[in-house]
This record gives sequence, structure tokens and C-alpha cells, in this order.
Amino acid sequence: MEGYVDVVVLGTGLTESITASALSKAGYKVAHIDFNPYYGADEASLSLDELIHWVDERSSLESEDANSYLESQKSQFISISRSASKLPQSRQYSLSLAPSLIPSVGPIISSLVSSGVARYGGYRLLERVGVYDISGTIKAVPGSKEDVFKNKDISLVDKRRLMRFLMFAAGEFEDKKEIDGQENTPFLDFLKISFSLNEEIAAVIAYSLAYCVSASDTTLPALLRIRKYLHSAGRYGASSFLVGHYGGSGEIAQGFCRTAAVAGGIYVLGRRVTAITGPVPQPISEDESTKLSSYSVELEDFPEKLSCNLIISSQDHVLPHLLPTAKHIPPSTPSSGMQPYSFIARCIAIIDRPISFSQQSSALETEGIEDSASSLDEPPLQQNIDTAVLVFPPSSLPGGSATTAVHVLITGEACMATPNGKWTVYLSMPLLEHSSSPESILKPYLKAALSLTTPSSADSSTEPLFATYYIQRLRCSPTPSHPFPSRASDPSSTVLITPPPSTLLPESSDSATINAEAVFRAAIHTLRYVHSTAGSANFDDGETESFWPAIEADPADEADEW
Amino acid sequence: MHGVKRVGQSKEALGAKKQREQAKIKDYLALTDDLLSRKKDKDWSKEAFDLTTRLLQVNPEFYTIWNYRRSIMLNGLFPPSSPEEINSLLASELSMTTAALKAHPKVYWIWNHRQWCLENVPEGPGQDGADFHGWRKANWDRELYVVEKMLDADARNFLAWNYRRYVLASMPIQRPKVSELTYTTRKIETNFSNFSAWHQRSKVYTSLWDSGSLDPIKCQEEEFELVRNAMYTDPNDQSVWMYHRWLVGSGKLYITVGALRQLNSTAL
Repeated sequence: MEGYVDVVVLGTGLTESITASALSKAGYKVAHIDFNPYYGADEASLSLDELIHWVDERSSLESEDANSYLESQKSQFISISRSASKLPQSRQYSLSLAPSLIPSVGPIISSLVSSGVARYGGYRLLERVGVYDISGTIKAVPGSKEDVFKNKDISLVDKRRLMRFLMFAAGEFEDKKEIDGQENTPFLDFLKISFSLNEEIAAVIAYSLAYCVSASDTTLPALLRIRKYLHSAGRYGASSFLVGHYGGSGEIAQGFCRTAAVAGGIYVLGRRVTAITGPVPQPISEDESTKLSSYSVELEDFPEKLSCNLIISSQDHVLPHLLPTAKHIPPSTPSSGMQPYSFIARCIAIIDRPISFSQQSSALETEGIEDSASSLDEPPLQQNIDTAVLVFPPSSLPGGSATTAVHVLITGEACMATPNGKWTVYLSMPLLEHSSSPESILKPYLKAALSLTTPSSADSSTEPLFATYYIQRLRCSPTPSHPFPSRASDPSSTVLITPPPSTLLPESSDSATINAEAVFRAAIHTLRYVHSTAGSANFDDGETESFWPAIEADPADEADEW
Repeated sequence: MHGVKRVGQSKEALGAKKQREQAKIKDYLALTDDLLSRKKDKDWSKEAFDLTTRLLQVNPEFYTIWNYRRSIMLNGLFPPSSPEEINSLLASELSMTTAALKAHPKVYWIWNHRQWCLENVPEGPGQDGADFHGWRKANWDRELYVVEKMLDADARNFLAWNYRRYVLASMPIQRPKVSELTYTTRKIETNFSNFSAWHQRSKVYTSLWDSGSLDPIKCQEEEFELVRNAMYTDPNDQSVWMYHRWLVGSGKLYITVGALRQLNSTAL
């Protein structure tokens, strides 16, 4: 039947894109719509001009009576400011609204491989993770046996203790006595008491290995994260993380949309949905004998109406009148052992000098001596890093926060994120309340990072070429009075709202994937139910479809290269 | 490979495998007979040469055939050729064995053949100065690069380490020993569970101390520091203790007994 699809998905954010791709590949007909003229929605990769337009659209003071999407966006992104400058080569920038790290082992990487989306894009290994020290320098983060061995700042006895902890964290600690009863104690205390680690090393582990955000973050979730990252090290290289080219998440979302289209999905960008009516019984077969409860979706400037049985939407894309009957899919990790942060302060800045991470000096004085026949491969004193994470633990910056850590991601040309000679700096800090402007909160951190850049000329200033600051309001976690409905509940709700991904740098993509799988299963559950009530199929929900269809191994993949 | 368990196979899988191999064995035996009789008849032709290529691809450990191949080159292929042609013939030998090494990194005979090729590179291309060793230098440099790639792939391949020592000694223009020290440092820092890297280090140090290029006392203090770091990081690693033993008991003990006592009291 014309214009009939199984599912209409609204919003091409990472979660929705993964879901659309999985549903398409599972054989369902999907129409995927985004009101923006680009893929990725709140995780999009934008050119510089697109980012400026994004900022201006959401910071304008006009009221948005007719545009519920923009209204929702304006309540999500607040206190936005940006520098007035315009830079050339706008299209060579890929700026991410949701900077993320991809752990080498985990849901997102598995889905990228299983779905085939990994072939569409490039990925770069994170080169360095550093932690800002109150002395104004960047210290190395000892995350592996090799790092611990080489580190000159840790005493011998502390090395032994640190190794003991790392071995513990990498193993099956659930039954070990150290963790007994300690699951909910603050992680920092756990490290200091159970492993006799000093304040400094405990802080480095908590904030730059476990990506904790405050001293009150609890032990078990932090340990689970550390173990995941320790197991990720070595798979593609020394680092546990990959950074996606062209801004990461936005490009990945686009990749999933592409596979959805290849599997038969319809894509519409840059059109608004003007109306959704229904669900009413509509014929879906030629002889009009089988009727299914369907929605009718009208798009602006689109000749046909779309009919569908299920609507999946992000919180901002959904039309408000559907909300009362909609089912919110609960997020995968509602609290991750952290305080219920309501806001996150963000900054996206462009700089023209690289940040210098101190050379990890070896235990012997051997720098400067050419030792390798392939010396072209490895400039021995390389300090200028293209892709790195810098962590500011609480109280590491005079004038900065004494309670919350700031995580900074730096990406450059090698990630296809900027033109030659430029780097992007992303800063983020979770907030319990919104009382100051994001610029006043984050600018000191940006300045501190800039003070570590390698100056290229005598009169170089410590100002970024461009910067935008804003606060993102986080959707509320479930509370006792407003619990999310249980997952296995009633399949009759035919509007599903996707949960937003985690905002923690190394968790964001993985959480989007886990959420997408939950949405996928709920969608199939509902579609089968809908078909069974219309008599067109038996309600057979016993068999669980696998998230991705099996892929054949490609024998041509095994070419070695020297 | 290090630390990889063998997987048992079912009876059916083994039976099927045997059948597939029968045909291959027949071909192989035919080829072997052909080549051995040609060898006996002193067949130095290009045709024989190509047959040896085929056989060695299947079984690079058949050293008789490697010998035959070299004889063919010496008696049949080299005499009518100019030095440039010989050089390029040897260059193609080297690239063929490079490919073989990727598949069989620990077969002595492939390494052996490479050595022979390298040693037989003619003088040239020019008559004097740097040019005189031009071809040789290029080949030895490339050789070092190959060995380094092998060691990057498996830093614990002791054949590669041994071969590395041979290459370093054979280069027409020697590299400074200190750079070798840096190389072992790099390998140890990547993963100090590596007997060969520590062993190489001990050899380099011995030669540097004997020649007077480095001060033994200062070196040993630094080495003890390095070893202590490794011990505290992973007390279970044996290669570290072996190196420590060499440092302490090499018979060239340059540090005082007092320092030894201090080491004992802090070691776990």
C-alpha cells in the first residue's frame, strides 16, 4: 500500500539511527525523518557555519509557538553564547555536539562491526590521556603495566600498590573481599582505604581512568567502568579508546542511517512534521480486508501522507499531543553511581596551536638518540598531540571547581575534525544547579589548557580563535514518585520515546547503543502485538531476534601490510 | 605463538583433513623426486630454478632444495649476468624470502638464505667512495628494517634478535652501539617481559664497558634503578630477575658491597 511503513522514526540522533538501522535490517519498513537539514540531531557533527547557525537558532529570543521542536531545543540548550568571529574553511570543521570516546571493547564497537557501519568511517586511536596538576603541568596517567613501569613520579612502593589495584580491577572482583560491602562507598575512599593508595594516585585513577566526576561517585560503577577500559586496551593499540573521524557520533549516526537506507529505509531531512493523526484502523492490504491501527503522518511540502503502526521519537522531535500515551524507554544506566546532575556546562573552542603533553620520559636518559632504522615512523620527541583527553580533577585548577571534575577532549586534523593547523577543544562539566554562566565556569579551564600550548610566535595570545559556551539541561532520571514504567510492560503503546545518551565522555556512544537495543526490542514487541490484534499474524513474542543479522566473514580482509 | 593453547579437533574433522591432504602429498612427492633427480644431473636451468620456488613455497624447511637453488644461481644464473643483473636477482630473492618469513618467522633456512644473498651482493654500483658499497649498504639497511618489523610483530622472536646482531655486525658502515642501547630500552619499555631484549642489553653493555665507552659504575646504578622499577611493577616476571642476576653476578662487579646490601633490604 502506498505510503505505508511499519515505523516512523523521528530524529536521527545516534540512538534513533541505530534503532532505525536494526529495524530496517530486521525486515521492517522504516521512514526516518529529521527536522534538521543534517543527520545526528543532538549528536550531530556540524561545520563551523552550521554550528553558528545552531547556536543562533537556539539563543534567539523569539517565541516558538508553531515549532515544538525548536521550543524543546531551546529548553534543553540554555545560556548560549559565542564569539563573534567567523573563520574561513568552515566546511573543513566537523564539530560535535556530543563529543565521545569509543571504548575498543563494548556495545558501540560491536554494533559498528556487526552492522557493517564500521566500514563507512575512519577511527583514530586516542593518543594520550593527561591529568592537570595544580603545578600547572600535565601529568601522565598510568593505566597499564608499561605506563606504571615508565612513570618517574611514582615511588616504588606506590607502583606495587597501583599494580595491585590494576590487577584487581581488571579481574573478576565481584566476589573479592575488598569490595564486600563497599559497592556504594565513595570510590576515592575505597582506593585510599582498601588499596592504601595516596591522595594523588587515587585522584588520577578516579578521575582519569574511571572518569568519575566527583569525590562522591560510588565504587561499583567506577570499578565496572575501569574494568571495561582496561579490557579495551591493546585491542587496536595501547589506548583503550578510539575517536571517530568527522566529529565522531554524528558521522556514526549518519553511517547507521546509510545502512538503514540500503536495507530499504526512507530518509527525509529538513522537513517538519505538520500533523500526526490516529491511530485509526486503516486497510493495509489490496483488498482492504486487513486493517491495522495506523497513524497518519503529514510532512510539510510532501505530497503523500505516511501511514505507520509505530512511532519512535526523541524527546524533542515528538509532537506534544502524543506524549500522554507515549512510553518512555528507560535509559540503560540511569545514575551510574553519580549524583543526579541536572545540567552540563559545555564549551566548543577552536585553537590554532597544539596543546603540549609532556614527553613521557623513559627511565633512562636516551632521548635524542636515533635508534631505529625506521626513524621516519616515530619522531622521538613528539609532544604535539592531535587526539587527547585532558582531565581536571576537582581542586586542580585555582579558581576552578572544588567538587567536580572537568573532562576535555582535543581533536585535530588527523581526526578529520579540523583543517590543517587547527584543533578543537571540547570541555564539559556536570552541574547540580545552574547559577552562573557557562562561560564563567569553563573559561578558566580553557585558558589553563591554552597556557600549555606550544607557542608558534612571540605575540601569540591565549585566546581561542572561536568559542561557544552553553548549558545543556539533562532529562530527569527516574525518581521514586515518577518511576519509569517497567520494561516488560504493556505492548500497546505505539509511541516510544528514546532516552538521551549518557553525557560522560567514554560512555555516551555505548549508552546510545544499549538504549537503541532496548528501543528495538520494545518496537518489535509492539509491532508483533499490533499485528496480532489485527488478526494478521499470531502474537509470537517468544523468539528474540538478534540485534544484528549475522555477517559473513570476508576472506579478503586478512591482507598483511608492511 | 606465545601463550596460545592448542585446540583439539574432532575425529571427523581430522578424517576430512587427511583426505584433502592426500592429493597435496602426491603432488609434493612428485615435485620432490623431479627436483632431486635434476640436482643429481646438475640441471642449472631457469626451469629448475622456478621449480625450486614452487617447492620452497610449500616447504621452506627443505634445506637441500635451498642448497640446490643457490647452486643454480652460482653455476647457471650468475655467470652470464652483469653485476646489475646479479644485484637485482638477489634483490628479488630477498623480497621472496621476506614474504616467506611473514608466514614462517622461525625457519632457520630462510634466514640462512638471506644471509647468503646479502653476502653475495657484488661491489658497486660505482668504483669508489660511498658508491662502492652502495648496493650493499642499501641491502643491509633494508635488512635492518626487515628485522625491526619482525621484532615489532613479535618482540620475543629470538631468531630475529640473533639475526639483528648479525646484521648490525655486517653493515659496511657501523651504527653506534649506543643506539642499540636505545633500541633495547624502547623494547623493554613496551613490554619488559622479554628475555631477548634484556639479553641484548647485557651484550651491548659488556662491549661498551670493555671498550671504555661508558662508565660501568654509573651504568650499573642506573640499571639497578631500572630493574628495581620492573621488580616492583611485576615481581613475577622472570626475565627481570635473570637480568638482575647478570648485573650482580657477572664477575665484573663494580659496585660496593654496601650498595648490594641496600638493594637486598628494599627488594620484596
